[in-house]
Amino acid sequence: MAEYKSVKIEKGPGGWGGPLTIKPTADRPYIYSVTGGGIHPLAAKIAELTGGEAFDGFNSSKPFDQIAVAVIDCGGTARIGVYPMKKVPTVDIHATSPAGPLAMFITEDLLVTGVKLENINPA
Amino acid sequence: MTVLYKSTVTEIGELVPTFVAEGMLVFFGDGAPEELKTFCIIHKVEHQEGQVKPGDTVAIDGHEFEVLAVGSVANDNLYNLGHLNLKADGNTVADLPGDVCIAKVDLPEINVGSKLEITRSN
Repeated sequence: MAEYKSVKIEKGPGGWGGPLTIKPTADRPYIYSVTGGGIHPLAAKIAELTGGEAFDGFNSSKPFDQIAVAVIDCGGTARIGVYPMKKVPTVDIHATSPAGPLAMFITEDLLVTGVKLENINPA
Repeated sequence: MTVLYKSTVTEIGELVPTFVAEGMLVFFGDGAPEELKTFCIIHKVEHQEGQVKPGDTVAIDGHEFEVLAVGSVANDNLYNLGHLNLKADGNTVADLPGDVCIAKVDLPEINVGSKLEITRSN
């Protein structure tokens, strides 16, 4: 049985929301990278620190209820709302603020943006 | 004329009209995760080169719009993920880093088989 640990993820310069505390569980093990081009370094770091499993969301999908945290590189309209809409904590590498038709689903306890590697630390 | 980008729509998500009502079309390449497909126009990219910039022309089934602004990550999105947020907001400076802005117009109807083309007049 894997041992999972918590990380605290804070917003970066000019970012929005958070901090998020993420701890995967056996039922929600996936650190879901929806950035294209493989596992983003932020997702890799979260996986390394928590013991969660980094997963490339562009290769195949996992159900929302198995995702511990989603890492996105959204420019502010679409992906930024999809995962919060499903109550999945979300980390955006870009320093965007909620906007667009999905903005109503986005809250500070579900989204943190502008995140850089140094904003992810053991909790 | 240089063709920068050319694609054909293959799928239209059920929430696309919600975005159209707000003056935006959200495209994603056909490799997009299932959960994104509900609110996206999925398209198959047939050609891509260069980078999109203001002054280029976006055409949807022959309806042409001048690109007014391009957000800082819009080209990365477009060329890596087939992801385009086309906004008919008339902005000459993109509100969000992912935006590609055109004039405040009524967006044309999009169907499976619709053609997207981005071109530059040389």
